Amino acid sequence: MEKKSIGKYIDEDTDQQEIDAELEDLKEKETSQLALAWMRFKRSKLALIGGLIVLVLVITAIFAPFIAPYDPLETNPQRRLEDPSSEHLLGTDNLGRDIFSRLVYGTRIALMIGVLIVAVSGGIGITLGVLAGVFGGWIDEAIMRLVDTFLAFPTVVMALAIAGALGPGLYNVIIAVGLVVWTRFARVTRGDILSIKTETYIEAAEAIGESKISLITKYYIPNVLPSIVVVATIMMPTALLASAALTFLGIGAQAPDPSWGYMVSSGRDYLTIAPWMATFGGASITVTVLAFNFVGDGLRDALDPVRGGS
Amino acid sequence: MKIREYIESKRARFIVTRIVKSIPVFFLASIIIFLIMHLSPGDPAEIMLGAGATEEAIESIQQRLGLDQPLYRQYLNYMSGVFQGDWGVSIRYNQPVLELIRTRMPLTLLLMGSGLIISVIMGITMGVLGALNPNSIFDYSSTVMALFWRSIPSFWLGILFLYVFALEFGWFPIGGWQGPISLVLPMMVIGLRLQAIIARLTRSQMLDVLTKDYIKSAKTKGLKRKAVIIKHGLRNALIPVVTVIALRVPWLFGGAVITETVFAYPGMGSMLVRGVLSRDFPLVQGIVLVICISAIIANLIADVSYTYIDPRIDIDSQRKG
Repeated sequence: MEKKSIGKYIDEDTDQQEIDAELEDLKEKETSQLALAWMRFKRSKLALIGGLIVLVLVITAIFAPFIAPYDPLETNPQRRLEDPSSEHLLGTDNLGRDIFSRLVYGTRIALMIGVLIVAVSGGIGITLGVLAGVFGGWIDEAIMRLVDTFLAFPTVVMALAIAGALGPGLYNVIIAVGLVVWTRFARVTRGDILSIKTETYIEAAEAIGESKISLITKYYIPNVLPSIVVVATIMMPTALLASAALTFLGIGAQAPDPSWGYMVSSGRDYLTIAPWMATFGGASITVTVLAFNFVGDGLRDALDPVRGGS
Repeated sequence: MKIREYIESKRARFIVTRIVKSIPVFFLASIIIFLIMHLSPGDPAEIMLGAGATEEAIESIQQRLGLDQPLYRQYLNYMSGVFQGDWGVSIRYNQPVLELIRTRMPLTLLLMGSGLIISVIMGITMGVLGALNPNSIFDYSSTVMALFWRSIPSFWLGILFLYVFALEFGWFPIGGWQGPISLVLPMMVIGLRLQAIIARLTRSQMLDVLTKDYIKSAKTKGLKRKAVIIKHGLRNALIPVVTVIALRVPWLFGGAVITETVFAYPGMGSMLVRGVLSRDFPLVQGIVLVICISAIIANLIADVSYTYIDPRIDIDSQRKG
């Protein structure tokens, strides 16, 4: 009776099936933590689809010169704003450039910006998180106040102000967004360290006289790594959207560069004649962000089954 | 009665602590904004006068604006001005910054507020419906849709709306401010994204709450399904939702900046973008400061309102870290 009323809200059958399947898997293979995580990851169809899309994007970025039929920067005044055709798969833009080729090269820019922003923000956030978690006391207090302050800043507004002060350009956007979005890295790193801190193996390591530095490199960082991987994946969409928005506002990648955000903003002026100009750039951003969101959600559930899903 | 007084005094203490704690955040924020504006490579005096200005003219402007003083003095001057209502003069508009903000801010708040209302109504409805019919087609498709709204860049969504509803169908003005009708498209752009977040959270919270013992006991007492869901379920499920909405206020400002630019909506956000592009530092500094103050206040209100919705919370251990 009781079971039934709960079962109404939580599908117990699938849950049970999943548990059984996992148990079977467990018996068959020798299982490391990583294998377990992979098993949970691949159970999510969306995560797999997302992973596949990311793979395709990476391949596109690497092999862009072989995939793109035209030079993304080559203008052709005679063939401006052409409809999509067999010659120009997705049409041409206001300067007669092949939109498909520009999209292909745009993948490079997008992924590079995303990864670099994650690297910059991760560098800042992890460092501060480790400092706060390991040393505690006033260092922790000061760093957490800084985190509070940055949380009060709207990402786009703040990145806009920084990028505006630094001047337009791709690398300034990367620095600007990276400087704003590091808080998540810091909070997760600090939180994980605080929870590891009371573990017996840390106590043991301290007892045999390990220095703080070696505690950090040998125990804290490796144990925090799974969370950092999750945060890095989750940050990709934020990084991509923020940098695209800044580019759209006129501050990111500059004129001839085939960045997706720029393609949307330049397409805005030709909406009535050539709506595809703005459409394909935006669609590329959406698909990329969606893919990373899928992967991020899947990774979070896989690496952190207890907290995940909330 | 005793318990009530106890809760009241505890709440009062919490509110005071919370306000005190946000003061350093405000000053830290103002310092960071100030430093950002001054790390820029260009000289504001030169920007004001344009290329080809004489050395003396630049120096006299620098003196007038106090740019020749050490950085900390400049900051103190700026902040004392801020508290006295002197936020500097915009280079581009040649008007007091505070005046410009005062005329533009209402439209921005209107846009954010209406976007927020739309998203709350849509999000909670979708979330509750999803939780009541879990794993149904509706539930599944709304989960996928939520991911979609989360992934679509708002500037692109705005342009699509502009193209379809304004240019093709002609239902709405193409941009600018022509009365409340100009609000509809930008409001939807802001609202759709936020509702996805609210819907997902409401759904998972509802699912969680509905398995609780007090729901079961309310049901066995013979209460109507509707009463159980709304009074006992939703009320408890909404507690974390309120917090998340308040934490999204800074994000709403970001959304406003982008959508206002797309729709040429004459608010504070589009003015900020123009200020950044023309390197109008006093204006940018002022707007960013206003936005940060609003965000800090929103967080404060969220935390305080939280104590009313859920008096149980352990006020002393409230901490975002």
